[in-house]
Amino acid sequence: MEEINAQKVTDFLKTRIGARFKTWMKICTHCGMCADTCHFYLASGKDSKMIPSYKVRFLVDILKKKGKVDKEYLDKVYSTVYHECNMCRRCTQYCPFGIDIALLISLLRAMLFDQNIAPEGLLKAIENYREFGNQMAVTDEDWVDTIQWCEEETAEELVGLTIPIDKVGAKMLYTVNAREPMFYPQDMMEVAKIFYVAGEDYTYSSKPGWDDTNLAMFCGDVKTARTIVENTFKRAEELEVQQVGVTE
Amino acid sequence: MSFYSFVEGPLLWIAFLTFIIGSLLQAVLFFSVSRKKDKIVYEHFSLKYVLASFFKWLLPINRTVAKNPIFMVLGYIFHICLIVVPIWLAGHIMLWEESRFEWYWTPIPDSVADWMTLIFLAIAVFFLLRRVISPDIRLISTFSDYFLLVITALPYATGYFLMHGTLDNVAFLSENMQLIHMLSGELMLILIPFTKLSHFVLFFFSRASTGIEFGRRGYSV
Repeated sequence: MEEINAQKVTDFLKTRIGARFKTWMKICTHCGMCADTCHFYLASGKDSKMIPSYKVRFLVDILKKKGKVDKEYLDKVYSTVYHECNMCRRCTQYCPFGIDIALLISLLRAMLFDQNIAPEGLLKAIENYREFGNQMAVTDEDWVDTIQWCEEETAEELVGLTIPIDKVGAKMLYTVNAREPMFYPQDMMEVAKIFYVAGEDYTYSSKPGWDDTNLAMFCGDVKTARTIVENTFKRAEELEVQQVGVTE
Repeated sequence: MSFYSFVEGPLLWIAFLTFIIGSLLQAVLFFSVSRKKDKIVYEHFSLKYVLASFFKWLLPINRTVAKNPIFMVLGYIFHICLIVVPIWLAGHIMLWEESRFEWYWTPIPDSVADWMTLIFLAIAVFFLLRRVISPDIRLISTFSDYFLLVITALPYATGYFLMHGTLDNVAFLSENMQLIHMLSGELMLILIPFTKLSHFVLFFFSRASTGIEFGRRGYSV
């Protein structure tokens, strides 16, 4: 059995558990009003294990055990917090106390991430964000190439069409999902056409910040999540735009 | 000092002081910890959302009442009886009047107190059965959920027995019911700050935080 560093687990949780988390863990009376607000509960034929207040029992349990849990236990936590909750917060809207279950789940995800446990795809994406600033590992050169290629292709249809890059003073900085330059450049072309016809004053940024997805957030990697957002804001300031546009 | 006079005197003081100071400390603790670790609540503080959240959930005018009317309405009645009976019971007010404080306020009629106690106990039994019978609620219930329900119901049951001599055919109970009643009430008061019964204070902090968080995003508070 793989050993888990108990101190690391409790240290991670304790520094992040504030007054709200403490209160929520303490006062839940297990009234069950959250049960049939959860789509996982309803879609599983009302499986009791899908009751939101049941899913967060791990947090209380881990603290009670002073972090002394094994890998098998954390795998169970993983399965619950990733496969049985998508942090939609609907249960909170029906909780008489307003207990924010999604935040508790999010903390468990962050704790797992600290132990290097997260869906493989998310771990890979985070690596890409850190190295390239976008989730698909698109290099700056490839990104600019893709925009220019989109411009050439689209200009054949709409003569005079250009796709601005790093245009200082544009009204809007337009950002995309990194899957677009990677797999769906036609989406960028469609947008280019609409903006051109509508006479929209926009620009792309050639530097990191153009990917508006934030997958780091889903595993509670606050540090990377913050860098991703900060990049976009930095670009917006450099280019002196008034708005940041986000792809659909 | 006999055990009876200890329970009637010093222990009552201990119970009330633990309850009052402990509950205040819960509030102080929330403020001091949240100032450091829950800054988001203060950064987005909005009295409008806080009050709206209190109003909506202290009264049965929220979406959970619409979704689960029976449970929620019973819950509201349960809490009303829980608060009203011990405070406005004539027998209790008489004791306050005789005490060093000499406080007096208008009591509710004994017959009303009787009915409220019976309704309260019936709902408590319903809650207990629901926990045992419903597979959903049984799974999520912890020991303290059962334990505290019994602790909460005990002062009301023993108070009723005391007033009506229900169990007086058992000699031990008929002699000691007053003692048992006082002890059960004191036990409940002492446990409030240390258990989830503290939700009588923390409810407001939780609702306020979530009211602010959801209100600022344009969701239902």
